[in-house]
Amino acid sequence: MRTTRKCCQRIAGCFAAGTLLFTVGNVQAQLDVHPTKVVLGGPDSRWQLLVSHDEAGLSFDSTRTAEYWSANVDVASVSPDGIVRGISDGETLIRISADGKTHAVPVTVMGAAAKRSVHFENDVLPVLSRFGCNSSGCHGKAEGQNGFKLSIFGFNPAADLAALTQEGRGRRTNRTVPDNSLLLLKASGGMPHGGGIRVRRNSGEYRILHDWILAGANAGYPDAPKLASILVTPQDSRMAMEATRQLQVTARFSDGREIDVTHLAKFQSNSEPLATVDAYGLVTASDSPGEAAIMASYLGQVDVFRAIVPQPQPENGLDFPQEPVLNFIDELVDAKLRKLNIHPVGLCSDADFLRRVYLDIIGTLPTAAAAREFLEDVSAGKRSKLVASLLTRKEYADFQALKWSDVLRVDRLALGHKHAYVYYRWVRDAFARNRPFDDVAREIITATGPLAQNPAGNIFKVAKKPGEVAATVSQVFMGIRIECAQCHHHPFDQWSQRDYYGMEAFFTQVNFKSTPAGQVLIPNKISTTKHPRTGEVVHAHALLQDEPAETPEGDRRRVFADWLTAEDNRWFARNIVNRVWAQLTGRGIVTPVDDFRVTNPPTNPELLDALAKSFVESGFDLHELIRTITSSRTYQLVTTPSEMNERDEQNYSRALFKRLDAEVRFDMICQVTGVSEKFKGVPGGSRAIELWDSQVPHYFLSLFGRPVRSTACECERATQPSVAQVLHVLNSPRIQEKLSSEAGLLATLEASISDDEELVEEIYLMFYSRFPTTKEQVSVSRYLAKADNRRKAVEDVAWSLMNTVEFLFNH
Amino acid sequence: MSKKRSYCDGMSRRNLLQVGLGASAAGALGLSSAQAADPGAAETGAVVARDDVSLIILFLQGGLSTIDTLDLKPNAPSEFRGEFDPIDTVVPGMQVCEYLPGVAKVADRFSLLRNFTHHDSGHGPADHFMLTGYAPRAGFNGSLKPNNHYPSHGSVISKKLGPRGSVPPYVCLPKMHRSGGAAYLGASHAPFEVEADPNAPDFAVPDLTPPLGINSNRFDARRELMKTVDRYKEQAEVSANSGTRALTTFQKKAFDLISSPAARIAFDINSESEETRKEYGRNSLGQSCLMARRLVEAGVRCVTIDHTNWDTHYNNFNVLKNDLLPHLDAGLPMLLRDLEQRGMLDTTMVCVMGEFGRTPRVNKYAGRDHWGPSNTILMAGGGVQGGRVIGATNARGERPESDPVGPADLSATIFHSLGINGDDEFHTPEGRPVKIVNDGRVLTELL
Repeated sequence: MRTTRKCCQRIAGCFAAGTLLFTVGNVQAQLDVHPTKVVLGGPDSRWQLLVSHDEAGLSFDSTRTAEYWSANVDVASVSPDGIVRGISDGETLIRISADGKTHAVPVTVMGAAAKRSVHFENDVLPVLSRFGCNSSGCHGKAEGQNGFKLSIFGFNPAADLAALTQEGRGRRTNRTVPDNSLLLLKASGGMPHGGGIRVRRNSGEYRILHDWILAGANAGYPDAPKLASILVTPQDSRMAMEATRQLQVTARFSDGREIDVTHLAKFQSNSEPLATVDAYGLVTASDSPGEAAIMASYLGQVDVFRAIVPQPQPENGLDFPQEPVLNFIDELVDAKLRKLNIHPVGLCSDADFLRRVYLDIIGTLPTAAAAREFLEDVSAGKRSKLVASLLTRKEYADFQALKWSDVLRVDRLALGHKHAYVYYRWVRDAFARNRPFDDVAREIITATGPLAQNPAGNIFKVAKKPGEVAATVSQVFMGIRIECAQCHHHPFDQWSQRDYYGMEAFFTQVNFKSTPAGQVLIPNKISTTKHPRTGEVVHAHALLQDEPAETPEGDRRRVFADWLTAEDNRWFARNIVNRVWAQLTGRGIVTPVDDFRVTNPPTNPELLDALAKSFVESGFDLHELIRTITSSRTYQLVTTPSEMNERDEQNYSRALFKRLDAEVRFDMICQVTGVSEKFKGVPGGSRAIELWDSQVPHYFLSLFGRPVRSTACECERATQPSVAQVLHVLNSPRIQEKLSSEAGLLATLEASISDDEELVEEIYLMFYSRFPTTKEQVSVSRYLAKADNRRKAVEDVAWSLMNTVEFLFNH
Repeated sequence: MSKKRSYCDGMSRRNLLQVGLGASAAGALGLSSAQAADPGAAETGAVVARDDVSLIILFLQGGLSTIDTLDLKPNAPSEFRGEFDPIDTVVPGMQVCEYLPGVAKVADRFSLLRNFTHHDSGHGPADHFMLTGYAPRAGFNGSLKPNNHYPSHGSVISKKLGPRGSVPPYVCLPKMHRSGGAAYLGASHAPFEVEADPNAPDFAVPDLTPPLGINSNRFDARRELMKTVDRYKEQAEVSANSGTRALTTFQKKAFDLISSPAARIAFDINSESEETRKEYGRNSLGQSCLMARRLVEAGVRCVTIDHTNWDTHYNNFNVLKNDLLPHLDAGLPMLLRDLEQRGMLDTTMVCVMGEFGRTPRVNKYAGRDHWGPSNTILMAGGGVQGGRVIGATNARGERPESDPVGPADLSATIFHSLGINGDDEFHTPEGRPVKIVNDGRVLTELL
């Protein structure tokens, strides 16, 4: 394993050193050069060449190590990094030598001496964006910086043009002596600048700004072509671990013209542990296998490069294991694993399965009796029988209601006691009856009438403004975050302000009326949504849908609900199955679960599609979905990593350890000690997962990161541990009281079971839902036998079990 | 990102009033000592990487009436000036309230920021503004705990500098203020909450030591036993899962903390002599100051003391005179002297503030209401020069006369002194980059 990785590094190192002769076996590697020919138009034009070759199923990049020569340096030059620059009109060849192979690319240069006509939006704004001038930390923030304000990410070119040419007493652009413009002096270090030197004086970017000012600092031709799209090359690549890959970004304009904007694009990785990217588009894979999406963005357009990094094949070459395929999930997971050469592990034990499904589905630990019964059951199909029975349990509704009340924001502080409670009961009832999920979503979105009878309408009370409702509904039901687009084009996605306000317009009719019977929701408000910048009317339209010429008649929320819950909606089912999948496996196919983005693609799109399809076909039946997932082999894997998957936490090659929610964890402590907690404002004996109010004062629950439900973000539930949490379980007198309680389970058991071995077995079943191993049985029994005080020794055993990884995680 | 920050206006020609016998020779020449020592550093406000400065925030929740204490207006009309008279301090020209004679004696150790102001006069948002340097966003719900939209100073310090030794980097005394949380920096950078009043006779930090009845032998036996029952402990599982890896790291830290003599001694306030405890004042504020000193000594980087009851809408003068000021007047000077005697004042920044000042006009209940526009801050140690008064409010103490500074400038100054670059960014879960300091200016006139 180790040697293999090193070997791979060494191979990558050979390329890095630019060794001219490279052969593997008898096959000479084929050199791939992109593009096959270069056409450069206009002054200061450039193109990034990409040089690579395929070997043993991987692609190796030699863009930065290849040698380049221009056949005619008067026509075009080429830098050591493979950037071709037009010098004068004509044709020539760029010769490339890499890895012992040579290649030639024809270059045509046209219009090199033409007078540059700089267009503000197409040419100047990209420079300001590239160097972060209009970012949120600098002049892009709402109040600007030191009196100079640009629109964030350049979403408002007209305002930016005014800021540069009219404000600041006109000193920012000096048309007579462009070099004396404040813009250029500050940016290039000619004057003190809080943001430091951003644009070097002799750079191409400096010349663009300079020439634009010299030409009059105008907006440029009003009918200039608009940016249509950007394209990242390559689109994907199978990379060796720790290898690098240069990206190239082409901008395509509405008139068909294409230019290279690699040097002006911004890059970002969606998974830094798997691959990183620098400001120049050089991707570096890490030493873990998996897949990362690298986003390139340029003037509000985005595209993605997918870095696929397989696990290297060890020398003693294990084959992909032959494990049973229990349903379509396993097929699709295996397909992805094969692609990455990651091997899955085998099936988990009954004990692991038992504890896993209990905690995943009903947020509850099995009792010792339930564990014993299941472990001793020898009937076939007992696993699926267990899942079926859990789905009918009261705790299923409790636990699902707890999770969904977070994102649907059952917030007592915002809603008041009464409203929050009926809202919670409504959410819980939806799960208790296993209502089809499209119905649930529809009822929330179209809720009308008295709130007392239509508690789902409370979402419009907790998210008061139409835009906030639109953002909440998008995030909860589609996993899409549109709120960025309220003020500017979404920086990592395709959403514009028009998309945001199109969504907002569905919810502007909501009106509340106070009547003797309480609050009544009536969708009768007359309002027109306007684009905040242009002032144009925006008619209600959903994401990626054409905007209608007129606003639809009637309650527009119904139009939205129809669209959202239609079988072919591309997000609704995918988002719901992704949330359930994440709850069951510990990791969303899209992660974070509520962040579906072009630039944050699913790790296994085929699996996500298939799950969504099956969910739609079942009539949006959550029970069926849970049965499907839990009956797959993928769900039932062991947690033990193998050499062929120990660095994979992304592709479901083994079961992950899942952190337990604060409420679940606390209930477990109450259950194994047999001492329940009295929470404020709910009947005695209520469990923490039954709490409808996430603000019930409780030290343990706050310490372990119970969410406050102030947003619809799944991220409100803390997932990080802290020293204080660990200390609390170790040392809290409150937990010690439970352990030593006279009326507790431990005292009762100690008194009733005199045989140490039997007692140890019972305790293991209570805490771990499994029988102790012989070794554990011996050492724990010995501890009990040795003790002066058996009761206290039992407490010690319970304390020890309670503080282990095995107890504190679901696995 | 460039590491250095420069300021176009360089060293300020601001309303810097250099007074007092303690003034340096440079001060006599009309230069601040910072400027004299290193004009380059003063001009650029460059962040010097350092690891030895700690922070104590004494937060007077409710809002210290600065017009009655640190910024008196004896010549204002009587409905503004209030009942108290100023007294001279050891720094000629600097006066404080007659009920702060102890503070007056140590005026050469601290400076006053009288040009401090902000626009928020509501408890929740103003608390958040002062404790994080950022005004909260729309939809802020002050009654949540924590309510942070942005991380508190202590959480930033925890994230950027990490722990020093086995003690936690950020501790809140006697409890955590609602805005003392970590926001998007996550639970790992939330404060360690003491949740107990150091002045209580049975003071003990909850959860730091095993509960009553579990002596150290039994605890050790439990730990030994735990090793035999944790089947994942030494397994590949733990290291192959980020979640369990984090837990085991924190479990190790927790055991370090439990078994660390440094932590145990630091929290054991009873090991102080009765005399010292008395000098700090046998009250919550005084004993919290003493505990803060002990914690900093043990390696804690930021201690935030949340002291309440300063919201004097009613009977302002009697409450201050009889109840609150005597506590402040004992605890604060003792803290500064004690730090100095131990050679720790240069490396411990002490910042005394309420969330706002109080209305200059006395209300009909002989009280004063909320007032963000004028709010004098007292700063000492950690590079802050003593004996200075920066800025001034107008004749009625309503707002700064000129050159106002605010919470972001205070944050910039704190982080600068602790060697943290305020321009560094964190990312929220939505991916939004947020600078540590929201466009604040390092108040070099203090340093």
